[in-house]
Amino acid sequence: MPDVNITVDGKKLAVPAGTLLIEACKSVGIEVPSFCYYPGLSLQGACRMCLVKIEKMPKLQTACTTVVTEGMVVSTEIDEVRQARKAMLELLLANHPLDCPVCDAGGECELQDMTFSYGAAESKLIDIKNHKDEQQWSPVVYFDRPRCIMCYRCVRICGEGMDVWALGTANRGSAQLIMPNHSDYLECEECGMCIDICPVGALTSGAYRYKTRPWEMKHVGTVCTHCADGCKTTLGVRRSPTGMQIVRGDNRDKSGINGDFLCIKGRYAFDFASHDHRIQQPLIRREGRHVPASYDQAYEHIALRLKEIREQHGGHAIGVIGSTRTSNEESYLLQKFARLLLGTNNIDHHRTADFPSFAGALARKKDATASMRDVFNAPAILLIGNDPTEQHPLLAWQIRNNVRLHRARLYVVNSSPIKLRRQAASFTQIPAGSEPQLAAFLAGDDSAANALASGEITREALAALRDKLRGEPNLIIIFGSELRGSSIDSLVRFGAAISGAKFVCLGDYANSRGAADMGLYPDLLPGYVPVGSGARFHEEWGAPVPTEPGMNLLQMVDAAKAGRLKALYIVGANPVARYNLDPFALSKTFIVAHDMFLTETALLAEVILPAANAYEKSGTFTNTCGDLQLLKKAGDITTVKSDFEMLLRVADRLGFDLRQLVPFRQAERADLGQSRGAQSGEADRHAIWLEAHGLEPKLSPFDPIAMLDEIQRLVPGYDVSRVELLAGNDQHTSIEAGVASSIASQPELILPANDTLFTSGTLGRYSRTLNSVIENPRRAPADKADREVVV
Amino acid sequence: MADLVSHPDEVKVVSRRFGQGAANLDRYLELDGYKAVQKALSIGPDAVINEMKASNLRGRGGAGFPTGMKWSFVPKQAPKPKYVLCNGDESEPGTCKDRLILEHDPHSVIEGVVVAGIAVGSHTGYIYIRGEYRYLSEIMQKALADAYARGFLGKNIFGSGYDFDVYWHGGAGAYEVGEESALMESLEGKRGVPRIRPPFPAVVGLWGGPTVINNVETLASVPHIMLGGGEWYASLGTPKNGGTRLFCLSGHVAKPGVYELPLGYNLKKMIFEVGGGIRDGNKLKAVTPGGSSTPVLKADECDVGMDFDQLMKAGSMLGSGGVVVLDDTTCMVKYLQRIMMFYQHESCGWCIPCREGTDWLKKTLNRFHAGGGVEKDIGNIQYLAENMLGRTFCPLGDAAAMPAISIVKKYRNEFEDHLNGRPCPLEAKALEAVPA
Amino acid sequence: MAVIKDIAAIAKGMSITLKEMFSPTVVENYPDGPGPLKGAKFQERFRGVHVLQRDENGLEKCVACFLCAAACPSNCIYIEAAENTTEQRISGAERYAQVYNIDYNRCIFCGYCVEACPTDAITHGHGFEIASLNATSLVYRKEQMLAPLPAHLGSNAVFNQAETETGTPAVRS
Repeated sequence: MPDVNITVDGKKLAVPAGTLLIEACKSVGIEVPSFCYYPGLSLQGACRMCLVKIEKMPKLQTACTTVVTEGMVVSTEIDEVRQARKAMLELLLANHPLDCPVCDAGGECELQDMTFSYGAAESKLIDIKNHKDEQQWSPVVYFDRPRCIMCYRCVRICGEGMDVWALGTANRGSAQLIMPNHSDYLECEECGMCIDICPVGALTSGAYRYKTRPWEMKHVGTVCTHCADGCKTTLGVRRSPTGMQIVRGDNRDKSGINGDFLCIKGRYAFDFASHDHRIQQPLIRREGRHVPASYDQAYEHIALRLKEIREQHGGHAIGVIGSTRTSNEESYLLQKFARLLLGTNNIDHHRTADFPSFAGALARKKDATASMRDVFNAPAILLIGNDPTEQHPLLAWQIRNNVRLHRARLYVVNSSPIKLRRQAASFTQIPAGSEPQLAAFLAGDDSAANALASGEITREALAALRDKLRGEPNLIIIFGSELRGSSIDSLVRFGAAISGAKFVCLGDYANSRGAADMGLYPDLLPGYVPVGSGARFHEEWGAPVPTEPGMNLLQMVDAAKAGRLKALYIVGANPVARYNLDPFALSKTFIVAHDMFLTETALLAEVILPAANAYEKSGTFTNTCGDLQLLKKAGDITTVKSDFEMLLRVADRLGFDLRQLVPFRQAERADLGQSRGAQSGEADRHAIWLEAHGLEPKLSPFDPIAMLDEIQRLVPGYDVSRVELLAGNDQHTSIEAGVASSIASQPELILPANDTLFTSGTLGRYSRTLNSVIENPRRAPADKADREVVV
Repeated sequence: MADLVSHPDEVKVVSRRFGQGAANLDRYLELDGYKAVQKALSIGPDAVINEMKASNLRGRGGAGFPTGMKWSFVPKQAPKPKYVLCNGDESEPGTCKDRLILEHDPHSVIEGVVVAGIAVGSHTGYIYIRGEYRYLSEIMQKALADAYARGFLGKNIFGSGYDFDVYWHGGAGAYEVGEESALMESLEGKRGVPRIRPPFPAVVGLWGGPTVINNVETLASVPHIMLGGGEWYASLGTPKNGGTRLFCLSGHVAKPGVYELPLGYNLKKMIFEVGGGIRDGNKLKAVTPGGSSTPVLKADECDVGMDFDQLMKAGSMLGSGGVVVLDDTTCMVKYLQRIMMFYQHESCGWCIPCREGTDWLKKTLNRFHAGGGVEKDIGNIQYLAENMLGRTFCPLGDAAAMPAISIVKKYRNEFEDHLNGRPCPLEAKALEAVPA
Repeated sequence: MAVIKDIAAIAKGMSITLKEMFSPTVVENYPDGPGPLKGAKFQERFRGVHVLQRDENGLEKCVACFLCAAACPSNCIYIEAAENTTEQRISGAERYAQVYNIDYNRCIFCGYCVEACPTDAITHGHGFEIASLNATSLVYRKEQMLAPLPAHLGSNAVFNQAETETGTPAVRS
């Protein structure tokens, strides 16, 4: 669009036609205050704070609803405008209680800020303020009507942004108020976006209420540890007897891939970290009972037994099971530890999607994966399987708002009527389990349509859908774990014919993609490199590594049952519950478990090490789209250690040179130039900078950034910008080295998590907030049934 | 059913059929009914709009926008259906003219809607009647049914091949819905809050289609203009203010009622001759010339012609034609308090200045009139009103602010009489007059 | 001459001594004076150990807003907030200070906390005898600083207790 020339406060500027005046002002650093205007939401013009003077207009105009026109001359700093802002604040404060000392928003309240910037300190009101008692709308949402300034942001974010429409307005005039759909309680996704977007303290979080004040906390922007979307969540941390306590999760830092979005898990489900059942010290089983031990005793015990088993039975008698919630560095270290130290390829993890097949299908295709940001900007999206609203809330948000704001065309093919069909240009319901046939049909196999067509969905309709999709350039194809193995090949073949088509394969946990990328497979090295052709790894690692594929998870259990597998090293996983294993099958095996809680699997272990969770360590996560992001440590809890550290301590006890495991002090420096100056103290400043960013200086083997050096060097597709990554930005990795692999893509091993919005595997079980929402008696019973906790 | 009043100075155009049973379709036809539609069909849309422009008819709802111009803004070609809306949400205090038209001459409104529809190329009209006028809805429903039965509405009206449907819709009792965009929201089944403009209704209105929205009286004037000709109608009033209008004379006059007088008629004459002077021989104190939202005129400012331009010059507005006359027994503080109670109750709550301002003003005035006023309240009332004026989302805030500003300015001494815990002096006087 | 000069000087000196012997003493007889203050005298505005005030209903005035802690230049105030419940109401507002510690090792008695307090909950008292050989004991807890219950609430409690014990209203003098 051609630019329009306008003058604001004497500054001449050219902005694209159709720009709102408030945005044009913002672009040259002129702040026009507003409450109700929020980028990306519909216009309200209700708060009247953004009134500005436009020449040739008799009245002041709202900058948020005025579109720039050629030659417009605007004044934002004249007395008339200043007086209007001041008066608007005086009017707003008329009925606003002055309870800032107790209000949770105090210190981060837009009304406070505006009153300081533009307002009058003294109130002219003599009469009594209107009052209404506070209401609790859900376990996590409280509403204090007197504080509400009626900006309608919550109503809009809930309706337009979330497509939930749980909030509305009732009454009129000064009695008007925001009201939930069931008059006194919310029937919603409990995402808490209304709380985040509230400019004042009218909507407050049940989890954070009256606990502390914003300036008393340290705010750490890290990556959420629940689903695989990788939202950035800002944790509010305060000191506590154990070192630190997370008291709040929110989305104040909007720089993440999630923009404004955060779901209930990212916002509230940090509380598992402070659950009473958390293991606080190493446990060793003696005479059938787990007794507390020191870390040294535990490491010694593990090293002794592992050494013994390795020497007596060889590496293949040891199995390793990794986690979908540990960092990339830990997963990488774990497979390196297994292959290099234990000499085994018996490595696996809980697989939630067929990433190896995906990698194989995409081999040697450039830019074939879509990032989470791409999903928001794509002109068209095809969604096959999965229910993103429940399992990938951010992905659903991106799709929904892409449709709303950019008029993208969404094509949904699913076996059940998922909620995203409401945004879809076309929704095709196919019989459950027929997704592979759909992939085959799309790839050109017309006979596959037999299994799909039923009722309204005729073969012609399917063919029409396929033709339409073929005519959608830059289509993003998103598919769930319903598609595996050769079906992914078919789908990629279909996509290859569409110019600019990109793919997203949906896995389930925070770092499932990372676990797969880091080679937690019996037959694949990091980056989907087959164990037989990992020359560059062997070279770098400087030691012989077994080249025969190892056993997968189920084979390991069988081997254990048969007595062939003598030891099993499990890091942050619960295969016993997940795969419904017979606990007695593992009774003869020496098991080490790193875990936060005494899970079904941890109970079987001989040694249990208390593990830190993702909020208590630094490192990187890769989300399901392949976006690499930095984890920032919220703080240390004195009683637990990161898996990274514990693995290294065990390796050390095994007599291994840690330098061979972690290339600390020999890799490129992680600094940004700060330490290169000649002045004294520069190096310290570097250390301070690292500390401030939650990173350990790379002087110790426990620094995961040192491991990241190796990952970036060796894992194909991970050579992204380090500066951007450390600055907290997401970096899209690519899949480069995939080959068709026989063992890795065993479909029977893929077990989707089937989490809902309110469950999150083991972590969800220990989250009081998630449980309080599930158990909320005011939630409809039918709804409750299908949100039953899945372990 | 109200009694009708009359005065020799009246020029009966819109009220021509009042009291003649014109609600009956047969009687209406005898009184030149539905001829305007037939004429409009024969001369075509452009000629209708030209006739309207020639008539200098200005909107009777309050803003006084020239009707012909409004119709001409509607695009000829539009992807969405066009609509004609009749705004019968007459809620301005002091105004009761639409009620009489709907009661005595409902078919003229229907006819006006159809003519407007022909002019802008619409095929659907809605007559929105305020919720409190439930009994008028019945009259309107019957009138519509009769018109449909004769083929004056529906498919192929008057055998012309032109289709036109008219529906009535009842409000739920909100002053705010008298604002045109809020009325459209209400008609769409939503909360009656105004919309952001631009786009204006003529471009994006009801259900997103181009929409003409006019007051009942405006549309009821249309058939007369069609039959009598635009120039004839224009000649009845003053330049740029064509025709006659219904003035609702109320308050402390001897003969209150709805009088149809030419625009530009002298206000003093209206009070003392048409209205028969002030009741009980009291003295004139103030006049609200166009419904409660317009600034008051003091007794010595009343020698003014009642049209849009002259009243504007005098510092007030013609508004909806509700002339409220106040005599010297009236406490102006009490009067403002009553007005503010109304606006506080009717504020939709959408924007801050109106929602909080009316509430604050009401609280202050309640306390003030009860004797709890302090010196700085007077300044504060004016301050608040001035800061509401022109800064609200829709004109409701202005409607509350304008009388407040004018009353505080012109009757400041009465406010000062209430200070220091003294109760209302006029009320005290009234109590003294009551025999023990 | 020199002798006379010396005598004159001594006389001058002694005259001051003699004059002062009969004027009232200005030295405070602390700690040997009478009363609970042991002879110490204070200006009204003296800033001593803090007192956390109660309102007329005996509820704590402190709402745990943390503004005192934010204002404190020596960072000596530590607060943990908690929410009042209907069963257990500690302060007048929604929130109260579950833990309120002032570390008198660090406090510089500047009074900024008193200035910052929006509810007039924290004030300076006149307590000053806080010297200790044990630094740990200088961290004062809320209970140590809290003002006693107002007299009417306290006396009521006694009155009611006597009533229940004897079964008859206690005689008030």
